[in-house]
Amino acid sequence: MKYTTFSQTNNDHLAEPMFFGNPVNVARYDQQKHVIFEKLIEKQISFFWRPEEVDVSKDRLDFQALTDSEKHIFISNLKYQTLLDSIQGRSPNIAFLPIISLPELETWVETWSFFETIHSRSYTHILRNLFTNPGEIFDDIVVNDEIKRRAGDISKYYDDLIFLTQLWQTQGEGKHVVGGIEYTVTTRELKKKLYLCMNSVNALEAIRFYVSFACTFAFAERELMEGNSKIIRLIARDENIHLTSTQHILNLWAKGKDDPEMAEIAEELKDEATAIFMQAVEQEKQWASYLFDQGSMIGLNKEILCQYVEYIANHRMSAIGLGQPFEVTSNPLPWMNNYLNSDNVQVAPQESEISSYLVGQIDAEVSADDLGDFEL
Amino acid sequence: MSDKKECFEINVIGHKTFQYVKNGSLLDNLEQQKIEVHYHCREGFCGACRTKLVRGEVEYNTDPLAYFDDDEILPCCCVPTSDIEIKVT
Ligand code: FES
Ligand SMILES: [Fe+2]
Ligand SMILES: [Fe+2]
Repeated sequence: MKYTTFSQTNNDHLAEPMFFGNPVNVARYDQQKHVIFEKLIEKQISFFWRPEEVDVSKDRLDFQALTDSEKHIFISNLKYQTLLDSIQGRSPNIAFLPIISLPELETWVETWSFFETIHSRSYTHILRNLFTNPGEIFDDIVVNDEIKRRAGDISKYYDDLIFLTQLWQTQGEGKHVVGGIEYTVTTRELKKKLYLCMNSVNALEAIRFYVSFACTFAFAERELMEGNSKIIRLIARDENIHLTSTQHILNLWAKGKDDPEMAEIAEELKDEATAIFMQAVEQEKQWASYLFDQGSMIGLNKEILCQYVEYIANHRMSAIGLGQPFEVTSNPLPWMNNYLNSDNVQVAPQESEISSYLVGQIDAEVSADDLGDFEL
Repeated sequence: MSDKKECFEINVIGHKTFQYVKNGSLLDNLEQQKIEVHYHCREGFCGACRTKLVRGEVEYNTDPLAYFDDDEILPCCCVPTSDIEIKVT
């Protein structure tokens, strides 16, 4: 079906499914099919923050004093975070917006993506402070094999969905040959791609990110790189909302509360969805080996990090009906919870590197009386 | 909130039974009893504290945004309104 930016079909959007119904026309929020997305938008917006508000200048000295293996852990971790947010800053928009049918879900995805771009910008803020020339770090992201392997696995599900959607939008259902390869386009096939993609996104935001969070906060536990940690706490708070949103989508489907065909697909592809999570866990463990291949750091090593991946995976998989495949029952990194607690993450204005908040304050204090003698 | 009864009992299956102390969330109460419950946000939007409610009722002090099943609760943002029985994992 050809995409239109303003569908003139006079449809009842309360009767539309989340995806693959009519394209959204009026961006209206007075009535909602799934009110949860509107609530997530409000919550996410209330978290608005800017990387420049966090003072990372002290990190430079800390960084210089790290051992080589610790520098490797810190920088590799940051590169991986940069990769994940590069993908997340664009992919939900490109993959999901063209096939969404509810205004509240459309706006949620746009809000979500916007916050991912804040995350991306914050990595530049962090790296600029640590290096005179952060370019080399960014350049390595597209040549480092360890990172590329992960990138391939994450972007694959998005890319498959995007490509099939493009075929469907331009050529409709049927068999189409592109570049010598035949593709079968049916809505069922599209919905399957969407289902797998949503699982992969959930695995990314609910599991993969937590490995990197653990590394960041392990430095903070030693009172090192605390500016960086403050930024990652703000990112983690956003990611908590993101993973909640994809859990809602997956559960609305699985429980038959949206598109009945998606409920069938959820059942049919349960093993494949499980495999996506298991693969993500495996890759994160390999990543842990890579991080620690030049030596450990105090408070964190490969074994504990791998246990933490399994612990988190149990939680996240059970939330979407995929059971708890791993043995681990108690949290191997209990201090992680303190960093993920949203009470602890407000940016204090006095820590601000820039003073725009202050400028606003002074402006606001200029009253009409002050302007009494002022004539034009 | 019904105040017919002043104190409610919380039975954590496999751990212990204790009296709910009126201030703080159910999660705060569990922590005071040294019962480990996973959490991140403590504000009802991440779902990390999801816990099975076997019996009884709770009431939310913030609108929970996280996903949880019909037989589950989010202890970080709820309080019991009857005796309850829960299962922490
Ligand atoms: S700790 Fe986040 S929902 Fe309870
Ligand atoms: Fe992000
Ligand atoms: Fe995210």
